[in-house]
Amino acid sequence: MYICIMNIVHIWAIIKKDIDIELRQKYAIGGTFLFAITSAYIIYKSFGELKAMEWNILVWIIVLYAGLNAIVKSFIQEKKETYLYYYSLFGPLEVIVAKLIYNYLFTIFLSFAVIGVFSVLLGNPIEDVGLFIKALFLGALGISSVFTFVSSVSGSSSSSSTMMSILALPLVLPSVLIMERTTAVAMRLINDSEIYEDLMILGGIDLLLIGMIILIFPGLWKE
Amino acid sequence: MRQNWWKFLGIAILIYTVIVGMSTPLKPGVLRIDSLSVGQGDNNASITHGETHKFRVKGYNTNFLDNDNRAWLKLDSIGSVKAKAVNVINDTEIDLTFDIPNHFPARDTFESLTLVLHNTEDGAAILPDAVFVKSDLTDIENNAEWKINPISNLTDKTGMQFPYRSVLHETIRNTFFHIPLWFSMFILLIVSLVYSVKYLRSGNLKHDIYASAMVNVAVLFGILGIITGSLWAKYTWGTFWTTDVKLNMSTVAMLIYVASLILRSSINDIDRRAKLSASYNIFAFAALIPLVFIIPRLTDSLHPGNGGNPALGGEDMENTLRMVFYPAIMGFTLLGLWMSSTLIRYELIKDKWMTRK
Repeated sequence: MYICIMNIVHIWAIIKKDIDIELRQKYAIGGTFLFAITSAYIIYKSFGELKAMEWNILVWIIVLYAGLNAIVKSFIQEKKETYLYYYSLFGPLEVIVAKLIYNYLFTIFLSFAVIGVFSVLLGNPIEDVGLFIKALFLGALGISSVFTFVSSVSGSSSSSSTMMSILALPLVLPSVLIMERTTAVAMRLINDSEIYEDLMILGGIDLLLIGMIILIFPGLWKE
Repeated sequence: MRQNWWKFLGIAILIYTVIVGMSTPLKPGVLRIDSLSVGQGDNNASITHGETHKFRVKGYNTNFLDNDNRAWLKLDSIGSVKAKAVNVINDTEIDLTFDIPNHFPARDTFESLTLVLHNTEDGAAILPDAVFVKSDLTDIENNAEWKINPISNLTDKTGMQFPYRSVLHETIRNTFFHIPLWFSMFILLIVSLVYSVKYLRSGNLKHDIYASAMVNVAVLFGILGIITGSLWAKYTWGTFWTTDVKLNMSTVAMLIYVASLILRSSINDIDRRAKLSASYNIFAFAALIPLVFIIPRLTDSLHPGNGGNPALGGEDMENTLRMVFYPAIMGFTLLGLWMSSTLIRYELIKDKWMTRK
């Protein structure tokens, strides 16, 4: 069995390395944000004026696809030898926790960017900012953890980009649906007095997914 | 032969399900009621208090000829009015004449009356909300006319019959196919989950073959469940596909598992394929729980049991249905296990030949 000791320093080192790589290869991060801006612009030009519900749905769809494109490479961007090197340095838990944290931060950053672009071009229908932020933080956790897991599974299969989308999209659906519902409440499109129950369920799904990943990943990492 | 007894048991149970489930008649019921004194179509709106009205009633599985037919229109909890004249046309058609009482203890401007039909051979047949009556008198105290001929001496038809439900009619038999298919799909997925965990613990390739064969059969059962449900929806809800949450969530669940089969076929290295598909299988089951058990309970659904208790208790099922329904679950599960065991044997032989070469 693995001796799973998590070292904060190690986790921070991996996160820092990922951020460094991301900033060094500007095309990847720039491409993701350009994708988001271009899609927002297409929506702006083709819809003209957007209803709040459509605003809500389109924001999350763009975040979903941009995030999918960005996170797909989190386990395939480096060479196999590099992973062997990591394997000698870090425990599996440290690697997966670092990847989860990094992808989570990335998804949140991406969501804020998309929402910013949408707000400039199409207006901002959010009424209850606190609830919206809570839903975003919990939903992004679910999305990023599913994407991280799936990228670790589909990482080395031959056509990983297609594989990633067919594996990941059905799996994130529960989180995305509940998050959309919650943010719709934050825009006062739906009335729901028990919305905090929905947030709890969203958090519960996140915990379930992360727990499963932490259980499964050490077996996958052994390769 | 001796270790194969459960296969024969499963097939015997399925044959029992098909024969009993398809050949047991439904209880007599009322298909529709039309007013003969008012023109068809808008008959309900123009019935008012204090009039005499003649109705033609169409029965289902009924035997009106040569029987002492009695009929009532029942106003909830207050009383009922008995048919003045009963005129049998044939076994499934009957004319009823009612004196709608003048004094109408109505709380609303429209009051719905329930039709109760009875004869000794068929027992009681009931059509809720059969007639709507308009009333402008609100004389709530005077309800003597409703108490002259109360409903009495109702009996039930003897022998085994399935209940008659107004929207379901004969499609109630789909209970023995649609629901057991989902049940056995779930049982197969749970068994497959157990084998996936076993594989990750032991690294024995046999366990991986077991798990993937179960997933294959479970996906087949799930697709059959969707098809039977879709056909059922056509006859009861009017369309093949609705926005119903349970329907769409189970489709997503199917997508997750089909994706797992595609993942398997995309990897060539046997050990790697086994490891990845076992991991994905465990994760998929974890994702399935919110899809199938949590989200449908959050929103309204057309399925029975949502927004409340599961649909197996109380008034949703009758004992005659249970007599076929529970064996059907067992039968389909055994059939699924048999199908997957055949698939497992095929895969094991293939594996043996591949490694020999």
